[in-house]
Amino acid sequence: MEPIVYVSLGAALAAGLAGAASAFGVGVAGAAAAGAVAEDEKNFKNALILEGLPMTQSIYGLITLFLILLSARIIGGGFRFTANTPDNIVKSAILFGAGLTVGLTGLSAIPQGIIASAGIGAVAKNPKTFTQGIIFAAMAETMAIFGLVGALIMIATGVGL
Amino acid sequence: MLSDTTLTAILDTTLGVVFTWLGWKTYKILWKYTPYSYPNARINAMEAKLLSEQRLGELAESRTLQNLIVNLEDTDYKNFMGSATTVDELERALERSLASTYLLMEDILPDRVSGFFRLLLEEWDVRNIASVVKAKKRGEPAVDYVLEIGTIVPRVRAMAEAKTMEEILVILEGTPYEEPYQKLLLDEISLTEFETWLYRIYYSKLLDYALSRKDEEERLILGEFVRTKIDITNIITLLRGKAAGLPGEEIRKSLVPGGTLKLDSALNVEDLGMALAELDSTKYGPVIRSVREEAEKDVSAVRDALEDYLLQRVGELTKFYPLSIATALSYILRKEREMRRLRALIRLVASGFSPERIKAIIGGGLAP
Repeated sequence: MEPIVYVSLGAALAAGLAGAASAFGVGVAGAAAAGAVAEDEKNFKNALILEGLPMTQSIYGLITLFLILLSARIIGGGFRFTANTPDNIVKSAILFGAGLTVGLTGLSAIPQGIIASAGIGAVAKNPKTFTQGIIFAAMAETMAIFGLVGALIMIATGVGL
Repeated sequence: MLSDTTLTAILDTTLGVVFTWLGWKTYKILWKYTPYSYPNARINAMEAKLLSEQRLGELAESRTLQNLIVNLEDTDYKNFMGSATTVDELERALERSLASTYLLMEDILPDRVSGFFRLLLEEWDVRNIASVVKAKKRGEPAVDYVLEIGTIVPRVRAMAEAKTMEEILVILEGTPYEEPYQKLLLDEISLTEFETWLYRIYYSKLLDYALSRKDEEERLILGEFVRTKIDITNIITLLRGKAAGLPGEEIRKSLVPGGTLKLDSALNVEDLGMALAELDSTKYGPVIRSVREEAEKDVSAVRDALEDYLLQRVGELTKFYPLSIATALSYILRKEREMRRLRALIRLVASGFSPERIKAIIGGGLAP
């Protein structure tokens, strides 16, 4: 494959997969939030906070997309890997790997949405469980953070900004 | 060495397989849990609004029916009370409230399980039909026994108003209850056998529905729920039969198939005490043992304890499967219990019982 294909795919997978997963996660938690608010409007604040948690993965995806495009100079200059040399192929493959890592770990937004949904249900029943609900949902965030850190290392050490 | 094209093909295929697997897994997770997120959060919020022990205690302090009606205005029952002023009207309001809860569950739960709540509502049809037919046979005014809940309330009301027993057969035409009623009219079965037949129809529908669910989790939860309900019904039938001194073979005719319990040895014992001892080795043993003394005097103590056990078991399933049908089942059981307690409370307040006495009667948790 041409280097440009690797780079574009990496950027697209990072933002696309993580964004789609966030959409599903927020969708699941949002439905639960609507259910909780339908019975009691006082649940709105707590439900809103829990519903927003799965959105962060899409932010990580967007950050990675920018970093990949910056690193390959698609943003801010001419494309760095125009020539189809082995070095350019390896570097563009590293960028592809970085994007894929963030995209796949960003899928944690789906289970996070499910956990947040159950958390919203628990908070609707007993508002004292709000903090615990946040902590449980935040656990799923760890995988996405690991993915982002891994991608940053890959981009910074393998290709450079 | 592999050529570039081969290497690219291997890479593409690997990515294709990984993404297909990932897509399938993601779809399965979303299919399983997403449909429960709205209903379960709403049900949890509804559960928070069930009357607490403290609130029931306050209602018990009402002293007069008028005060009780005013106090109930602050609850969700307000929407169903209208201009109710009598005990009967209040009871009808409670029944309408419970019926609307079943229908709400059917409405908001995923299509693949919502039909279960329509079937649960049919238990009230069975109760209504049995009560009306019994009242007619005894020559009592059957209208007094009709509960405003179920899937065929207008038919049941028509049955209660029917002039002859044959007229009821026309009303029941086309329903699954037609055949047993026909046999009853022809004196081929007794009233008890008729009632058992109705319950067998009801439980077999429930069990068929539960066991035909595609999702393993739903099958497990619904299956356990229905089988436990059948077990409770059979245990109570057995104990009532033994308390009345009926022979085992006679009681066996009234049992409902589909439960988990083997009651052969308990059926063949002499009396109630021995039947309770036989049940000791079953999974319900600890529950029955806890009310053994009261049970020897009044079998309904066992029913209450077993219903508490079912509630506790469904509660455990809710904790284990938070995004499942267990949440709705747990809520409906709690709502039914609240309705039973409120019904008792209304009657006791109307009869002029003291608040302390009412608290002692309607629940240990309310006792001063």
